[in-house]
Amino acid sequence: MLDYLASLAVFAGIYALLGLGLNLVWGLGGMVNLGLAGFFAIGAYASALSALHLHFPLVAASFFAMLLAAAAGALLAVVTARLKGDYLAIVTLGFAEVIQLIAGNEIWLTNGTDGLSAIPAPGRGTLSPLAFDLSSAGIVWLVLAAIAAAFGRLSAAPYGRVLRAIREDEMVARIAGKNVLSFKIGAFSASAAVMGLAGSLYAAYDGYVAPDSFDVLVTLLVVLALTAGGVGRMQGALVGAVLVVVLTEGTRFFGGLLPGLSALQVASLRQGVIGLFLLLLLRVKPDGLLPERIRVHPLDDEGETTR
Amino acid sequence: MGPTVSRRAVFGGSLALPFLGRSGFAAAPIPLGAINPLTGAGGAYGPSMAKVAQALTARINSTGGVLGRSIALDIEDDQTNPTVAVEAAHKLIDVNKVVAIVGTWASSVTTAVAPLCWQSHTMLFCTSGADSITKLPHHGYIIRTQPNTYLQSGRAAQFLLQHGARSVFGLSAQTPFAVDSWNRLAAVLKTGGASGAGDIIYDPKQISFRSEIGKALAAKPDTLFLNSYAPDLEILLRETYQAGFSGNRFTFAYAATDAVLQALPASVTNGLWSFAPSPDVASPAYRAVQAILGINDPDPYSCQIYDHVSLVVLAIARAGAASGVAIHDNVRKISQGTGEKVSDPVAGLKLLAAGKEINYEGASGPCDFTPSGDIVSCKFLFQVAENKHNKTLFIS
Repeated sequence: MLDYLASLAVFAGIYALLGLGLNLVWGLGGMVNLGLAGFFAIGAYASALSALHLHFPLVAASFFAMLLAAAAGALLAVVTARLKGDYLAIVTLGFAEVIQLIAGNEIWLTNGTDGLSAIPAPGRGTLSPLAFDLSSAGIVWLVLAAIAAAFGRLSAAPYGRVLRAIREDEMVARIAGKNVLSFKIGAFSASAAVMGLAGSLYAAYDGYVAPDSFDVLVTLLVVLALTAGGVGRMQGALVGAVLVVVLTEGTRFFGGLLPGLSALQVASLRQGVIGLFLLLLLRVKPDGLLPERIRVHPLDDEGETTR
Repeated sequence: MGPTVSRRAVFGGSLALPFLGRSGFAAAPIPLGAINPLTGAGGAYGPSMAKVAQALTARINSTGGVLGRSIALDIEDDQTNPTVAVEAAHKLIDVNKVVAIVGTWASSVTTAVAPLCWQSHTMLFCTSGADSITKLPHHGYIIRTQPNTYLQSGRAAQFLLQHGARSVFGLSAQTPFAVDSWNRLAAVLKTGGASGAGDIIYDPKQISFRSEIGKALAAKPDTLFLNSYAPDLEILLRETYQAGFSGNRFTFAYAATDAVLQALPASVTNGLWSFAPSPDVASPAYRAVQAILGINDPDPYSCQIYDHVSLVVLAIARAGAASGVAIHDNVRKISQGTGEKVSDPVAGLKLLAAGKEINYEGASGPCDFTPSGDIVSCKFLFQVAENKHNKTLFIS
């Protein structure tokens, strides 16, 4: 049981990292980046390939993955600088599809749909499966804690305030003298880097990457997790990721309690229950479990904000 | 005043209902896992696979189980996605403590789950086709009942040679087996004096294949080998017809579905050859699968999972112990060799209990395995499209 919980902790941590990355661009910057699975894949493949062919240790492979994902993020930010809302969502979703297609078709590099297996990771093969799962969970959550703290600082810092200003009204931010494009590029790269890091940890933990792993399902799960947890709050990403994993995995255990249903009915019911729960949650708490808190300065008698 | 029954008692009793009727066995049940594609791309096969596994397990349990223990089968949905499958496998291995996992279908799912299995000494029985699977360092913990690409393409090439193909061009959807498949086909064609005129791997999500077809027809082949799925096959058939190709076309039966044949005019599809590894339709085990599903032509994967469950229980009985290691060490002792041939796992259990040796021959075929876990041989079905339907040519 402990192995299983540890493996769930690893997956929850990886989803939370993806959620944090998404929160920076979407939650703070208001840019709907559905290219998440693409950055996740770039990170996973960069890490897996550098570990397999160049024998990079996990730390180096992860830095390489972050670098490559950040570069892709910057590029995407430049290309989509003038897009907003649905249009940005469509283009970024397309980006993720392109990455998945490249992973599936550039066989010389990615081994095609066969995927890359036997990716090395610290402790794989030498530790027992339980110890490996526990140590992986430890590594993932340590990294997660560091990133969450850093993003929390960033969110409270002037940088975060500018991103929020861009989210609320890009024109106002520009008039206030902020270089909107450079902030967008910065946020996109930082977010992509964290998603790439999540990909690197995923590749190392799973030991296997294939294009199938980076379909739109990942993006959906993380968007759901962040929406349920609370967009704009870094803790929201963490709570949401844990919630989604608890929901998807917890429902596995109810199948046995429903006699007379076929396996397909149980599987379908399970996905229905997950969907229903998230719908109800957002009906009751539209801003998620941990809504964003924006400090508002009270007005004085003359209508000016107090200092 | 009559007996009083509190609402609480009724509620409590109804909660306990699912747990009734499981007794009758002295020892704890043997946990067995199945990971099936109940939803997602494999959703056409997973549900019937699960049904067969459940029905066979129930039958074995109702006839006394194995080693005096019942089998507790837990079926998990992998959504045809390797990440979901890994989570499901963790649950089965770590929480249910299963001795084996049966019925993984997609190659990516099997490849993702395999390391968890061999590291935890859990046997993995799969129906996936990618050659790379049995080349993994699995230490004997993978058994595959699906013929690999090598076996399939070799047989396909023999068929084409017998039917006069001299120059074959391959158009293959990008899949884990596209390259291996073509290489083996071309190699066998060459030994028969024919040749591979060339090959192209295409992205199956395209809505037109005109440029690929243009390249293929420029090589002037007499036969096209269409390594496709149903949606892209439909487009390929229409566009090669429009391009004026009049030679033979050969594809896989899972692509040449009735839906494809119905969607196109008969003049386009007539003469399309297709083939598939065939279950052993003469086997009593095959009839058992027909009875479970209530249909005449169960798919190969449902037949294979019937054999997976049979092999698991027979290996456990032969070993006298229920563990992944016991199955690993005994699965070939009950599936091949000189023992008495059996197709019914319950009959096999009786023979084993009587101290006899057995050789299980299943619904999917002889179930004889190489040291790396591949099947040695199986039967193939060849068919031809005629007036919007597939007509069986022969099974051999």
